[in-house]
Amino acid sequence: MEDQLRSIETEALEAVEKAQDKEAIEGVKVRFLGRKGVLTSILKGLGKLPREERPRIGKLANEVKVQIERAIKARLKILEKTAGPRLIKGFDPTLPGRSLPLGHSHPITQILDEVCSVFERLGFSAAQGPEIELDFYNFEALNIPPDHPARDMQDTFYVDDKVLLRTHTSPIQVRTMELMKPPIRIIAPGKVYRCDSDITHTPMFHQVEGLMVDEHVSFAHLKGILTHFAQEIFHKDTKVRFRPSFFPFTEPSAEIDIQCVICKGDGCRVCSQTGWLEVLGAGLVHPQVFRHVGIDPEKYSGFAFGLGIERIAMLKYGINDIRLFYDNDMRFLDQF
Amino acid sequence: MLVPSSWLRQLVSIEADDYELAESLTLAGLEVEAVEPAYPWLLLAQVARISRVEWLDEKRHISSCAIETVSGEVQVVCGAPNVREGMLTAFVPPGTEMPDGKEVKETVLYGRTSSGMLASEYELLLEGDASGIFDVSARFPDAKIGQSISEITGIEDRVFEIGITPNRPDCLSILGVARETAALFSSSVSPPQVKLDDSIPLSEVDIIINEPNLCTRYVGAAVKGVKVATSPGWLARRLLACGVRPINNIVDVTNYVLLELGQPLHAFDLETLAGPAIVVRKARKDERIVTLDGKERQLSEGMLLICDRDRPVAIAGVMGGLDTEVTEKTENILIESAWFAPSSIRRTAKALKLPTEASYRFERGVDPLIQKHAALRACQLITELAGGTFTGIRDENPVPYKPVKVMYRPGRINRLLGTQIPSDEMAEILKALGFSVKEKGPEKFETVPPSFRADIKAEEDILEEVARCHGFAKIPTSSPVATLIVERPESFRPFMGLVRSLLTSQGMSEIISYSFIGPAELKALGFREDDERMKVVKLKNPLAEDQSIMRTTLVPCMLSAISRNIRRRNLSLSLFELGAVFIDRGPGVIPEERQRCCIAITGNRFPSSWAWPDRQVDFFDLKGIFENLLAGLNCSGARFELADVPETFYEEGTQLNATVGENLIGTMGQMGRKILKGFDIGQDVFLADISLDALAKVALAGKTFVPLDRFPSVERDLSIILDDSVRAQHLLDFIGKNSPKELVCFYLFDVYRGKQVPKEKKSLGIHFVYRAKDRTLSEEEVERLHIPLQESVLREFKGSLRG
Repeated sequence: MEDQLRSIETEALEAVEKAQDKEAIEGVKVRFLGRKGVLTSILKGLGKLPREERPRIGKLANEVKVQIERAIKARLKILEKTAGPRLIKGFDPTLPGRSLPLGHSHPITQILDEVCSVFERLGFSAAQGPEIELDFYNFEALNIPPDHPARDMQDTFYVDDKVLLRTHTSPIQVRTMELMKPPIRIIAPGKVYRCDSDITHTPMFHQVEGLMVDEHVSFAHLKGILTHFAQEIFHKDTKVRFRPSFFPFTEPSAEIDIQCVICKGDGCRVCSQTGWLEVLGAGLVHPQVFRHVGIDPEKYSGFAFGLGIERIAMLKYGINDIRLFYDNDMRFLDQF
Repeated sequence: MLVPSSWLRQLVSIEADDYELAESLTLAGLEVEAVEPAYPWLLLAQVARISRVEWLDEKRHISSCAIETVSGEVQVVCGAPNVREGMLTAFVPPGTEMPDGKEVKETVLYGRTSSGMLASEYELLLEGDASGIFDVSARFPDAKIGQSISEITGIEDRVFEIGITPNRPDCLSILGVARETAALFSSSVSPPQVKLDDSIPLSEVDIIINEPNLCTRYVGAAVKGVKVATSPGWLARRLLACGVRPINNIVDVTNYVLLELGQPLHAFDLETLAGPAIVVRKARKDERIVTLDGKERQLSEGMLLICDRDRPVAIAGVMGGLDTEVTEKTENILIESAWFAPSSIRRTAKALKLPTEASYRFERGVDPLIQKHAALRACQLITELAGGTFTGIRDENPVPYKPVKVMYRPGRINRLLGTQIPSDEMAEILKALGFSVKEKGPEKFETVPPSFRADIKAEEDILEEVARCHGFAKIPTSSPVATLIVERPESFRPFMGLVRSLLTSQGMSEIISYSFIGPAELKALGFREDDERMKVVKLKNPLAEDQSIMRTTLVPCMLSAISRNIRRRNLSLSLFELGAVFIDRGPGVIPEERQRCCIAITGNRFPSSWAWPDRQVDFFDLKGIFENLLAGLNCSGARFELADVPETFYEEGTQLNATVGENLIGTMGQMGRKILKGFDIGQDVFLADISLDALAKVALAGKTFVPLDRFPSVERDLSIILDDSVRAQHLLDFIGKNSPKELVCFYLFDVYRGKQVPKEKKSLGIHFVYRAKDRTLSEEEVERLHIPLQESVLREFKGSLRG
């Protein structure tokens, strides 16, 4: 008899838990506690038990009854809460909203804005320069004379012997320094061009150039600013690595790697198993560049940096084909 | 630069493993881009057993063999005489690139499928003969099926792929990378020793340098009685690991020394040189030479040549001539080891479009002191590998190398780096790199870089050496303290941002197109000859015809983007582009760059929804967007007017010009259907073409607050029937001009043609709002204002009230 009571209890509690609405609860109530209910019929049989067992079993049966009643009450409360409000006839609030389509700025624009704003918060101002440049500004004033092998680093579109499509945003450095006196802090986004086209190169792409010139600017400052930048753009814990490189207009020159955003440094296809991704080129402004624009390299020093926006966008959004940016397919643009 | 690990370690002894070494080199500025197996084909070729041999043509040793490989049985057709059942041999699976550059393929030979090949030791560049397939059973009886050939022979190596920046030509050699490695690991370099007697003069060849500034040094050395043959496996393998294909033992030695020491060499067949003499001179008019690659090259005046008594025999520093090359019959050899001026070589190689391993190094700068050593090293290797006798060397050095002296100030270096590196440590770093260092006074040092470091010219170069060897990682990371208020340059960026947000907020999406277009796309717009947009900037070296001119208008870019989208069934588009167009101003000067904005809409105005019926865009959707843009930019006085001189690309009669005063801000209209057809667009497109330069001048006029109304307004509606030819704009302008000051607002609320309105007439509904600043207007007052206005409108436009 005792076991029977226990199993009724378990069964009833389970049924209560499973009940999804008021009616189901009512059904449970009738089945167990009703006049012809399971528990009731057991209680009716109490009389057949030996006298000495009756009080104990009776007490137990009562406890079971209370348990079930309590569970039913609790369940009803929950069901009441989740049932939600009543509906108004003829009004279906679940219909989709009457929304006007959102416009999107191009993903490259969005990343450009994000990059520039990091530097604008640090007091860098936007600067600009022509996309079709003189050889002088694109190369010579940046310490890349004619016949210099460094010209091979950038495949150049030429218009004529003196005019070309700028291969980097660095000529803006020179144009700015011609017009302004230190202290200088600029950030210059823009289109650049190189004759190269495949899955990782488009003949036109975007760079952002930065320049800071003042007294006492050091390589340690370059590290400070660019580490801050990488951590603002990617993640505040992003690991950053500075590695020697070569640009004719900076010395020392550095390439800046961030820990691979895909594999977190373990090595994967995106980072060619190195765990690092190159995102920036930088260095201290070469004294020769200062001399070209009449800034005294003994008094002033500075750092310059440049980065490719497409690369950052590809890393941030997981885009695997750079050509998508200039294909202007709505299915692509709508995602950003 | 490909550097085999074993070769590097032969020149410098270090404990670090390949990956530690790669990391150290990368962090010192020699970026190791990859560490790869040096002989991939030896890893892919595997031990397999010939289980059955079926002779297809016994005379010619053609057999079809069943091969037991680790992954099952395969059939291979083989041409070797030594195949036998049960033999272990080398099986090369399909897909493997062999040393000769050919890929092993699954083919059908003699009517049988052949899935792979059985290779000889020779084909695998192992020490062994070419007469039959690799008899693994005989040489390695313990070999097991499936083991790689690399595993059983123990021949394996790794190769570092190092990106050498243009300032470090000294590292374009194994020796150079070894020197860097030694400096980084405090080890020392043991360069290859030469045992030849360098005092034997070269008597039989005259060396005359006519251009001492372009060829400061020319070393000639001779070896006689050689036997030209293929190189031994170890040499061939090393060349191949460095990306150089083996040819014969003489040419291979010159390439080997080039890779080892960084000095390009050339071997002449001594017997083919007229004189025999070597004359270094500039090319004359109309000279020609057939180079080693078999091509005849037209030389331009001034190119530096190596000639014999009669004719050019090599393009100096670029490529040798075919007539004097080493062939199988060659017995006597002249080795050339010279120093050529970088810019001369670069110009020649560029002009001839003939970049070579040699020109690559010469144009970056070769160590001016290594020519003699390199020539002797090559002669020694030739005598070892091809026999023969070294018969003498001659060193013409009309312009001897002068070491440069560079001063540096440790204090300044530390200031610029933000470090506190002791001057002793700086000196140690420099000495380890082969520089000599002398203290010249307080805070002043003089250093002499080694001859191979032509990149070191000034203090900043010393700074860089110190920084990179000290380690960028050890330089502190700190925040600059700077003047907060600095001059701000001119920038169009904020204005662009504003335009962009006004357009995106109206549901438009931004596109970015290439700035170059094709002449055909421009032509399709049908501009008149004298249109400024026909002054195009042409690229000298475009990637393709359809990217060969710089755009003078954004319109073709927009139409191309629309066309591409429609092809992909994106039929409803609201797009805009902001960007520069370029108007040519003649050669040698940069073109005029104009900032423009192009807006276009096509397809459904709004996405299909339960909430509204589908509707195609029309002219007024675009006009509304344009109006909102102007309003958002606070362009006071902006007007739309019918165009006097229409654009060629709009449908006739649909064009409006947006103007502010005298300034044309932009045009808009429905794109001409014929033009659209040219871009393969079959649906209506409405487009606006706007000058951002003009817009920026009139935008963002100051705003003045207008006090809020305090008194109620009185409103009137007017419906008039007018001739259909009356333009709404004229009517509204007329009302504007004649409105009393109490008329604070009026607008067109209805345009109707059809029932109740006669043909060729239309009904316009105008709503008027009257209000006074200082009192509540009475109905009578409003009547007194409104009736005369209404009358004058009816009179002016010959209209009648709609009943």
